[in-house]
Amino acid sequence: MMETLTYLSEEWRDEAEKRLTTELPPERMNFVTSSMSNIYKNCPDGTDKFLFFRFDEGRFEELLVGEGVPPKAEFAITGDYDVFAQITRGELGAQKALMTLKLKLKGNMVKALKLASLADRLNKVLAKIPAEY
Amino acid sequence: MNQTAQPNDPYFIDFPDRIWKIQLEMARQSIDVYLGSRLRTLSWTTDAFFPWRSFIVIPREGLPTAFTFVIDAARAADDSWLDEDHVYGFAPMGGQDQIEQIADFIKDILPEGRGRIGVESGMSNYLPEGWLTHYEYQQYAAALDGCELVNAHTIIDRLALIKDEGTINRFREASRIVDMGHQAVYEAIRDGGYKGMTETEIAGIAGLAMRRAGSEWEWSFTGGNEIASGYRTGLAGGACTPASRRVIQAGEPLMVDIHAMFKLALGDHSHNYLIGPSTERQRWHAGNFVDIVKKTLEAYRAGITPSLLAEQMMGFAEDLGFADHMVPGFEHGIGMVGDEWRIGLNDGPFPYWTNPDHVYQENELVICAMQYACPEDAIGFRYENPILIHANHCEPLSQYPLGVEEI
Repeated sequence: MMETLTYLSEEWRDEAEKRLTTELPPERMNFVTSSMSNIYKNCPDGTDKFLFFRFDEGRFEELLVGEGVPPKAEFAITGDYDVFAQITRGELGAQKALMTLKLKLKGNMVKALKLASLADRLNKVLAKIPAEY
Repeated sequence: MNQTAQPNDPYFIDFPDRIWKIQLEMARQSIDVYLGSRLRTLSWTTDAFFPWRSFIVIPREGLPTAFTFVIDAARAADDSWLDEDHVYGFAPMGGQDQIEQIADFIKDILPEGRGRIGVESGMSNYLPEGWLTHYEYQQYAAALDGCELVNAHTIIDRLALIKDEGTINRFREASRIVDMGHQAVYEAIRDGGYKGMTETEIAGIAGLAMRRAGSEWEWSFTGGNEIASGYRTGLAGGACTPASRRVIQAGEPLMVDIHAMFKLALGDHSHNYLIGPSTERQRWHAGNFVDIVKKTLEAYRAGITPSLLAEQMMGFAEDLGFADHMVPGFEHGIGMVGDEWRIGLNDGPFPYWTNPDHVYQENELVICAMQYACPEDAIGFRYENPILIHANHCEPLSQYPLGVEEI
């Protein structure tokens, strides 16, 4: 059984990258080219963190975890760490979080709608990583 | 993407040039961002129809970005010359409502998030005008802390006043379509065909014919195609008659005022009938009406003003003894959809009404509009036709023969 990793740690990032690369081939990502930053406010250690994804024609190219200002992305989703954790644990839907102002999306909403199902796929892969929040 | 984006297309409009001219004027007035909200502004800058509350953000340099209800943004982008990266959708989601989304977008444009923002504030008797509401103004002022909001709609009004060739050609086509609608109505009501028909049915007959000919919409907010029969044609000052379920009757007048839209250009022409048998008194009214329409069309030209024209026409009606039946106004403004009411700029004695001393210039478009009404005789007629102002005459765009036909 796989050990539990700390959410957003370097070990968690490595595992996430491995799973996204193997479980979401370009055709599962609709050959999309895009980038997205999740910006986590009020993390348990008192910092703000980000999780940055970049896809090129559906290929998973980049996954970064860091503190402070994230790289420029087509979409930026900002919210409290706890909210993202609830979404990753499957306790809260991303859409409901957006509609109740728990998350804020910056970027072209029309394009975001086209990518909503892909974001769900991505979240489902990440949710399966045994993690400690 | 829009199919008339090629310069050799007769309906081509150089939208990037329009934006560039707006930006030149913004620079002259030290405006950093123009936040348009009027339907006429959206039409004139995007070449797309925006039926929902929408906005356009024009930076000092580069392409504008339109914002509309998310369910319609992809369609609007598809119709517009702007691509999907410049038509955003807003929705009630965190960061995506129209205030926060647009305010954030503007702040990203402005150095340090500060600057002068031109907005569109005013009033109109035209309901779908789209002025910034008091609530919106307050919300944007709060969200754009450090910015100055200034009224700037005259920039668009001035630039949109004189019509370019592509716009004029679109209006010509919209009028040709309207003429086909009138022909279809005539074919339907002649030889007793009117019997049992309602005003709404006539509106539909015209609508179908015009749609078949390429019209996108019976665009008028006054109820689409306006039809009046009998006493409804002669309601005092009654220049607005959404079609009713009234059945057309023998011995009554019938007014058919129909509207087509072609690439956001607007056709608007009224034709009038007497359903036989007609009386001499009805024919006298009809003759008066045709005479004053002819006289008015002869008078329109560059250099004339609405007040001068009204004075001349009312004098003519007085001399011939029917001034009591004339509404003393002979025009309303017209432009791409959303621009229907005021003529010229907001520079008259009554704010946001037509300046009676507005001097017409070549290549202005106006709806020549007249309402003749005699409530006592339960009779009235309406004339509307887009006319293009030339140096020494006007060009009626609808070419359906003028007259009051007896059916």
